Amino acid sequence: MATSDTSDREMLRSYLVLAGMAAAFLFLVVSLWGIQVAHGSEYEQDLRRQSIRRVRLPGGRGRILDRNGVCLADNRSSYCIAIYLEELRQLGQIGRRNVTNVVYDVVCDLSDALGLPVVVTKGQISDHIRKRSPLPFLAWRDVGKKAVAILKEGTRRFPGVDIYVEPVRVYPQGEVAAHIIGYVGRAQSVPAENEVSYHYYLPEMEGRRGIEKTQDSLLRGRAGGLLLRVDASGYKYDLPGHREVMLDPVSGADIRLTLDVGIQRLAERVLGDRIGAMVVLDPRNGDILAMVSRPTFDPGWFANGISQADWSRLSEDENAPLLNRAVSASYPPGSIFKLVDVIAALEQGSGITGSTAFQCPGYYSLGGKAQLRCWNWQHGGHGLLAMRESLEQSCNTYFCSLVAKCGYREVYKTAVTLGLGSKPGCGIDAERAGQIPAVRSLVSKGDVANVSIGQGALQVTPLQMAVVTATIANGGHHYRARLVDAVSRPDDRTFRTMPLSRPKEMNWSRETLDVVRGGMYDVVHARRGTGRRANADGFDVAGKTGSAEYGRKEDRKKRGWMVAFAPYSNPRYAVAMVTDEAVSGGITVAPMIKELIEGIAQIENGMTAGTGR
Amino acid sequence: METGRYLRLLRRMNWTILGSIIVLAVVGVLFVRSACYSNIVEDQSAVRYQKQVMWSIVGFVCLIGFTLVDYRKLARHAWWAYGAAVFLLILVLLVGRTVHGGRRWLWFMGIGFQPAEFAKVAVIILLAWIMGLKTFRTDSYSSAVLVLAVVGIPTLLVSRQPDVGTAAVFVPVIFTMMFVAGFSWRILLSLILVGVVVVSVFVGALFLPAKLGCSPETQARITKVTGAKPYHRQRIETFLHPDSDPLGAGWSRMQSEIAVGSGGLWGKGYLNGTANILGFLPRTVAPTDFIFSVVAEEAGFAGALTVLCLFGATIAGGIRVAAAASDRLGRLLCIGVVTMLFTHVFVNVAMTVGRLPITGLPLPLMSSGGSITVTTLIGLGIVQSVYVRRRIIRY
Repeated sequence: MATSDTSDREMLRSYLVLAGMAAAFLFLVVSLWGIQVAHGSEYEQDLRRQSIRRVRLPGGRGRILDRNGVCLADNRSSYCIAIYLEELRQLGQIGRRNVTNVVYDVVCDLSDALGLPVVVTKGQISDHIRKRSPLPFLAWRDVGKKAVAILKEGTRRFPGVDIYVEPVRVYPQGEVAAHIIGYVGRAQSVPAENEVSYHYYLPEMEGRRGIEKTQDSLLRGRAGGLLLRVDASGYKYDLPGHREVMLDPVSGADIRLTLDVGIQRLAERVLGDRIGAMVVLDPRNGDILAMVSRPTFDPGWFANGISQADWSRLSEDENAPLLNRAVSASYPPGSIFKLVDVIAALEQGSGITGSTAFQCPGYYSLGGKAQLRCWNWQHGGHGLLAMRESLEQSCNTYFCSLVAKCGYREVYKTAVTLGLGSKPGCGIDAERAGQIPAVRSLVSKGDVANVSIGQGALQVTPLQMAVVTATIANGGHHYRARLVDAVSRPDDRTFRTMPLSRPKEMNWSRETLDVVRGGMYDVVHARRGTGRRANADGFDVAGKTGSAEYGRKEDRKKRGWMVAFAPYSNPRYAVAMVTDEAVSGGITVAPMIKELIEGIAQIENGMTAGTGR
Repeated sequence: METGRYLRLLRRMNWTILGSIIVLAVVGVLFVRSACYSNIVEDQSAVRYQKQVMWSIVGFVCLIGFTLVDYRKLARHAWWAYGAAVFLLILVLLVGRTVHGGRRWLWFMGIGFQPAEFAKVAVIILLAWIMGLKTFRTDSYSSAVLVLAVVGIPTLLVSRQPDVGTAAVFVPVIFTMMFVAGFSWRILLSLILVGVVVVSVFVGALFLPAKLGCSPETQARITKVTGAKPYHRQRIETFLHPDSDPLGAGWSRMQSEIAVGSGGLWGKGYLNGTANILGFLPRTVAPTDFIFSVVAEEAGFAGALTVLCLFGATIAGGIRVAAAASDRLGRLLCIGVVTMLFTHVFVNVAMTVGRLPITGLPLPLMSSGGSITVTTLIGLGIVQSVYVRRRIIRY
C-alpha cells in the first residue's frame, strides 16, 4: 500500500533526524565535559585571576612656583572619614540586602558622635556599593581636626570606620596670580592609558584653567595601580598583609613660572579694583614677570569642588571675573598703535624720515566736508609737527596723514611682524589673536584714518602690546613671551629650564629706533607729553598713552591704555596696561605706571620687605 | 460534556514532554534570578524573574489551549497566521524599537514582543499544511520552489532587522521538514548544493575583497550587493581568534567559556557563581543568551548535563510523537517544532561553550524573554495536540 509505504518512509526519516540530533547532543556533552571536568581547573585559575580588581591611583599633583621658588600652588592633606565596607561585613553586620541601610546607619551614628551634618544620601551609598564596592566609602571629605581627634579616640566604637587622607589643592598666595595659575576640578573623564584598564578610579584633579590646565599632563604625573582581591560578592577580601601595589604612582612635575610674586603683588595692588589688565615683561628675554587681570577670583574655591551657587555667581557676573583680560580679551589699542605707524613709515624706505612734518589744523580732512577731529581741535590744532613731537602729543591728524602717505599696507605688514593679530603662545590657555584689518577690508579714507589711530576694527590684547613694547625697548628683538620657566625632573626634582627661543630680529634702522624710543621718552618727560604723569622716581620711563571709546556712544566711556618701558637706557621692564572707565590713558593710567615703576625700582633696591621674596 | 472531553484529551498528553518542559521552565526561572542577582541591586533582579514566571505561566496556558485545539482545524487557518506574521515583520521594520542594533521589537500596550519568534511557528504550520496536502508532490522541483518561496519571505524580512541568527533557524527547520515529508534525495542534495554556494559567496564577500587587496570602494560595493555587514566579519573573526579582542567582542565569549569551565563537575552552588555575580559575564546578556553558562557555572557539569538531558527527552519525545502522528500534517508539525527547539538549544549551548560564534539565539524555556517562551510553548502545545489525536496502534 502506497500510503503505508509513505508513512513508513516518513517514520524512518523521522528517526534518522532523531539520530542526527542525538549525535549533536553528544557533541555538546563531550564539549562540556572537556571544558568543565577535563580542563575545569584551568578555567578556575582564569577566574581567580579575574577576582583581582585593579584600582588606579593618581600621582600626586606637581607644585607651581614663581621664578624665585615661592610656592603658588601646592597640595595639603585633607582628612576624610571613610567607611570600609568589607570590615563591616566581616563583623556580620551586612547581609546581602541591607548594605545601604547599614552604611547609612553608621553614617548617622558618626554624625551624632562627631557633630557633623550628614552630607551623603542613600542613593550615593548604594551607587558606591554598586560601582566601587571594594573601595572605602567617603562619608565626609576634608573634616576638621576636632572630628579626626574624636574619631581616633573612639575608633573602637566605630569598627570599619577610619581616616582616609586625600590630597587637596591649595594656593598659598590666595588670589595672587589667580588667572595665570587657574584652578582644578575633579576629573570627569578618565585619561586614556593604553597600558592597563582599571576597574576603579580614585578621584583625580584635572586642571581646568590657566597653567593648571595647559601644564596638566606634566603636573598630573603618572598614575599607579593597586590590586585588590575581591570575594564572590565583590567586597574586598584581604589575605593578611596582602596589599599588592602593581605600579607606584609617580608625582607630577613641579612647574616654575617666570612670574615674580613681588612684582605680581605690586601690579595687582596698582590696578586695585579697576577693571582692566596689565602685563609686565622682561624685554631681555620675554619672561612674563607679572600678569594681572581684574576683577579676579580665588582659585581655592575650586579645590574641593565648587558649589553650584558659587559657580553660577562667578560665571554669570557681568564683569567676568574668570576672564583673563591680559590674554583673552582684545580691545582697540587707541593711540598706542601709533608706535606701529611710526615704525612702518620709517622702515618703508620711501623718503619718510623723522623730520617729515604735517600740518594739524585740528582735524584731518577726509575729503569734502567730512573730517576727523584731532583731540585738541578746540585749540586750533597742533600746528606743524615732526615725528617725535607728534608722538609726544599724540596728534591724530599727523598719523592719519603719515599712514595715508606711506600706505596702510606697510602698517599692516609691520603689525603682523610684531605679532599682532596672532596668538602670542606664552603658555597659557584661551589666548586671543586680536585682529588687524586686512588691507582689502579698508575701503574708504576714513577707514584707513581710523585704523591709523588705533580705532576701527583693530583689536589687540594687553599681552600683545607688552610684547610690542618690549621689542621696541630692546632694540628690535622680538622675543616670544613665556610663562613657564622650568619643569622639574621626576627623579631628582631638579629643574630643567625650558630653552629660550631665539628672538625674531626686526632689523630696524638706527633712526627708526631713535625716533620711536625718543618719542616715547618725550611722551613721559616733555612738558606737553601726554604721559608725563608716568614720570617716575628711580627709573627713566618711556611710554605711549592711548584711549579708545567703548560701549554705547552716548555713554562716552573710554578705555585708557599705556605702554611703557624702563629704565630708558637699559630696559629691564616693559609694561602694557589697560583699564576700563578711564578719563584717558595719560590721566588715568600714567599715574599707575608711575606707581608700578617706582615700586619695581624699590623691589630692585631691596627696600621693600614682605613682598614674598 | 465539553469539559469531560477536554479532560480526556488532556489525560492523553505526552507526560515525558510535559514533565521535562515544566522542570526546564522552573530551572530557567531560578537561574534567571541568579543571573540578575548581584550583591546590591536587590530590586531589579526581582522584576526580571517575576516577569519570567509570568511569561512561563502565560506560555503554559497557551500550551493547554493549543493542545485542546485540533491541529487539523488550526492548519486550515495557516494562511491567516502566515499573513499576520509577514504583516508584523513588515511593521517591525517600519516602526519597531531598536535594541542592540536590531529592529526587533514591537510594543503593544506596554508589552514588547518579537514578531520573528511568532513567525517561526506560523511558517512551520503553513509548511506542514502545504506539504501535508494529499495533492502535494514530493518529487518535483516546483513544489520545492513553492516551499522555499513560502519560507523565503519571512526569512528575508527577519534578516533585514537585521537578525541573521533567527533567520538562519529557518534553514534547518525547513530542510528537516522537507526531508521527513519525503522529498527525494536528488532534490535535497541540490538544495544543499545551492545553500553551500550561497553561503560561500556570502563568506567570500566578507573576507576575499580585503584579502585580495581591493580598494575600499569596491569592497563597499560588494558588501552592499551581498548584504554582508562588517559586524558579521567581526563576529566570525572573534570566533576564530577570541584573543584578538579580549575586551571587545571577544569578551562575552571568553567570559562565558571561563564561567562554564570554572563550574567544574558539581558547580559552585546556586547564587554563588563568581563570574556571573561579579558581572564578568555581561549582566545584559547573562539572563538571556548566556543563561546556560550561569547554569553551568553554578550547577557544574552535573547540572548542565541534566538540563541537556531534559531538552533531549523533550526532543526525543517530540520525534516519537511525530512517529505516532495519525497523518503527515501532524508529523510535519512535530518535526518542525522539534527541529526549531533543537536548533535553538544546539546553537545556544555550542555558543556558550565556545564551539560556535555568538549569534544571539536564546535558549528556549530558560532564557529570560516573553516572545521566545510563549512561542516555544505554543509550538509544544501543537505537538501535544498531535499526540492526543494520535493513531492508536493495535497489535
